[in-house]
Amino acid sequence: MAIAGQAAAIAAFQFLMLTSPLAIVVVLSLVVGLLMVVLFGYASDQKAIGIAKDQLKAHLLAVRLYRDQIPVVMGSYGKILRGTGRYLKLAFKPLLYVIIPITLLIVQIDRYLGQTPIPVNAPFLLTVQLNGGDGLDDVTLDLPPEIAMTAPPVHIPAANEIVWRLVGSKEGQYHVKIVAAGQNAAKSVCVGSDLARISTVRLRGHFWARMFSSAESALPETSPIESISINYPDRNVEIAGYGMNWIWLFFILSMIAGFIFKELLGIQI
Amino acid sequence: MKRLCGGARGGRGRSPLHELRSAGTGRSPVTTRVLLIALIFLPALAHAYAGPGAGFAVLSSFWAIFVAFLYSFYALMTWPFRQLFRFIRRRNAYGKATFERAVILGFDGMDPELADRFMNEGRLPNLAKLRDKGTFSKLRTTFPPISPVAWSTFMTGVNPGKHNIYDFLARDTSNYLPFLSSAEIKGPKRHIKIGKYSIPFGKTEIKGMRKGTPFWHWLGKAGIFSSVIRVPVTFPPEKFQGVLLSGMCVPDLKGSQGTFCLCTTRASSDKFREGGVRVPIERNNGVCRSYIPGPDSPLAEKAGTELRVNFEIRPEPGAQAARFAVGSEKFALKVGEYSEWIPAEFKAGLGFTAHGICRFYLKELSPEVEVYVTPVNIDPGHPDLPISHPVTYSIYLAKLFGPYATLGLAEDTWALNEHVLDDDAFLAQAYGNHEDRERMLFDALDKTKQGLCTCVFDTTDRVQHMFWRYLEEGHPAARDVPHSQHPPVIQELYERMDRLIGRVMEKIDDDTLLMVISDHGFKSFARCMNLNAWLHQNGYLTLKDGKTESGDWFEDVDWSRTRAYTMGLNGLYLNIRGREKQGIVDPAEVEALKAELQQRLNGLVDPASGAVGITGVFIADNVYRGPYTENSPDLIVGYGAGYRASWDSVMGKVTGQVFEDNIKAWSGDHCIDPRLVPGVLFSSHKFIAEKPAIVDVAPTILKLFGLALPAHFDGKAWNLAAKA
Repeated sequence: MAIAGQAAAIAAFQFLMLTSPLAIVVVLSLVVGLLMVVLFGYASDQKAIGIAKDQLKAHLLAVRLYRDQIPVVMGSYGKILRGTGRYLKLAFKPLLYVIIPITLLIVQIDRYLGQTPIPVNAPFLLTVQLNGGDGLDDVTLDLPPEIAMTAPPVHIPAANEIVWRLVGSKEGQYHVKIVAAGQNAAKSVCVGSDLARISTVRLRGHFWARMFSSAESALPETSPIESISINYPDRNVEIAGYGMNWIWLFFILSMIAGFIFKELLGIQI
Repeated sequence: MKRLCGGARGGRGRSPLHELRSAGTGRSPVTTRVLLIALIFLPALAHAYAGPGAGFAVLSSFWAIFVAFLYSFYALMTWPFRQLFRFIRRRNAYGKATFERAVILGFDGMDPELADRFMNEGRLPNLAKLRDKGTFSKLRTTFPPISPVAWSTFMTGVNPGKHNIYDFLARDTSNYLPFLSSAEIKGPKRHIKIGKYSIPFGKTEIKGMRKGTPFWHWLGKAGIFSSVIRVPVTFPPEKFQGVLLSGMCVPDLKGSQGTFCLCTTRASSDKFREGGVRVPIERNNGVCRSYIPGPDSPLAEKAGTELRVNFEIRPEPGAQAARFAVGSEKFALKVGEYSEWIPAEFKAGLGFTAHGICRFYLKELSPEVEVYVTPVNIDPGHPDLPISHPVTYSIYLAKLFGPYATLGLAEDTWALNEHVLDDDAFLAQAYGNHEDRERMLFDALDKTKQGLCTCVFDTTDRVQHMFWRYLEEGHPAARDVPHSQHPPVIQELYERMDRLIGRVMEKIDDDTLLMVISDHGFKSFARCMNLNAWLHQNGYLTLKDGKTESGDWFEDVDWSRTRAYTMGLNGLYLNIRGREKQGIVDPAEVEALKAELQQRLNGLVDPASGAVGITGVFIADNVYRGPYTENSPDLIVGYGAGYRASWDSVMGKVTGQVFEDNIKAWSGDHCIDPRLVPGVLFSSHKFIAEKPAIVDVAPTILKLFGLALPAHFDGKAWNLAAKA
């Protein structure tokens, strides 16, 4: 009982100090919900959206009011579909204003909340993919003292990949060095338990993929290495004993916050 | 006048779809589209992170589709069973019907003589088509020829003795005070006191006083659907198979039949005689502040604690315009311009809110500031009282077309009478309501391909009431304007109604019967008669000692010495012992007194003009029959053309003069001898009917749909000459 109480107290403290992922997600959801509603309100034609929504509601009511008159009901369905299209068209521009900043923001947040660092003494996989299968045997790994290899590398020629199983013995941010065809490439490795900025993969080229999934600079264009990735464990945010990806929780909470703020601010969405 | 009628409506006249189109055009720059395309082709992560904005939009739109799908699934799955059930129960409702659909347009007060005159002048081509192809006839009205009476007869097919409506007002025999004859609204009986609040428990009770069964109920029982829009005396709405929006007699949010508000910086202690209040505007540093008076707080311990909605006016320097802020609503108005319907939420505390809508009209900004506010109508999108059947019908119309007037007498005739509105502003308001009604009618026509579609337009009545003064030369209410300068308001009204008929005719085929009817006609109201004054001067009504006149509602009447009195428009009552609280007329003498009054009043001449002021006095027992005749007046007074009960007489006031000029804008009327003001009957198919009457409409419609006529009907069904 005492242990549970202590754990709860620690969780509460972490929540209040915004050091727990749950607290960060909750606060972030509230702020984003508010900002998005305000942004949507400014960027949209509120009057037209209001009318479009009212028309949709009217056609829904018509289905109910004239339910015994199938031609009217069918006509109303058509109007509902057209009305939905009209509404989406009106929501299109403000949606863009909302989506672009929030997408970029969430990508950054996901660096911290999407995965956990590698726990100390827990094995993990480092995968190097080359852009051709020729040099697979020549690839070597240069590890810092805190990281050790626990098994010989596995070569997968079909995928041009080499996989190492490694383990970290001490918390910290490290760099492992991969040498391929005489060229060096480094990949950060995060070992520990705290919140940290994590990059699961380092890529060569792939601008959009890098923007959304890598927190490291691009590999040189001349490098024979296509990508270096680490299988960081996914982070689950615990709420009421149920763990889920932070994105789901953020989605739900920011929606709730948005619906509350839109009512408070009188903004049509 | 035309300019203002159009201009005053401003953006309101545009359809919501039009506004939608304007709003949706030309707003997405190229860069925006490029960004969107980029986002579409982003990796999956971007879509997953669409966030609340996208979530709202997608949820909202998919929610609509989802709900529609559920409804459609339900409707489609259950439709065969419902159809089968209906088939068994109603045995093919339309099997014996002569027409698939009947469309009845009620043009309140359309006058057959004026219609005939304008048709002969070629001004009403569509009505002339109906006349030539189908029927045009006078339509006998009711005793008395007052809208709530006549429309009640129209819908029930019975005389007033069976539907219990004899006037707008009825009298309470216990105190001689009036009450609304059509509906009674009572608040919850129980209250619980918590702190400063007195919280009501239970429902508001709304009791319809009109008896009888509207004919659309009989149609509904037979499985025939009806759309009924704004037929008078349909408040509170009753259940039946169809949709109904209540009309005349729906109160405003204050519970009155329409109380306008004049917000002004002008100091005045004068009270409006009719239907309005004056509210001060306070000016401070260029900002004007005032309020809209609302209903009494349901939570206040003391009755009469008025709820208010504050608003601000900020005149724009150098421009004849001002910005308004009413709650969260902000809008700008020019002088002489109406706002759209603005929501007015009257908050009583503890979450109790009365939802109303009103329109603002900026009268003046300099040197004084004056704003007219319409009576606060019940918000049709959020009705605090039921104003439609089903309740969702008023909401449906509000969502489809935007807010609209719900008050029974929506055209503010009182404000024009009191010179708060001028002619142009009144017409702008009246035709604004009229356009809303037209939209509702055409929607009902689209939705009611089979069954009954009926809609009553009040504009015809209100405009004739207020502008008859321009129709005839020498009317006392327009003597200061040369006849040659009188605007042709009534002629334009009839032409407008004719164009409406034309558009309706385009929507119907030969399987649809179109009827255009009015409940009564119209005549001039140039001279007022205070019947109470006549009764006083002739010894039937006695004032308290020392009094030569009486205030409203018989304030100074000595009932112990009064044998007869009048209130309302046409009713004359005897003060009968055992019926009235202070009655003195022996029941045995009643018949003799009625005969005496009938004989003395009939043919009463106006000494000033030599014209007959009263052309008929009718004993109620001879014109009414049915279970509710005990509530009727004892005599019905039929005024002559050009005459009507004076404003004071209607309100139970006794003045020194019997006859006087009517100088109010309300210059035409119909509350006279019913034989002088029949209504009109036009139809697309020819009827064979001798002296058709409004009471015949209900039986005729039931017969045309192949239904048996209820035995209690007083009207007779007309025969169709031939179906083309």
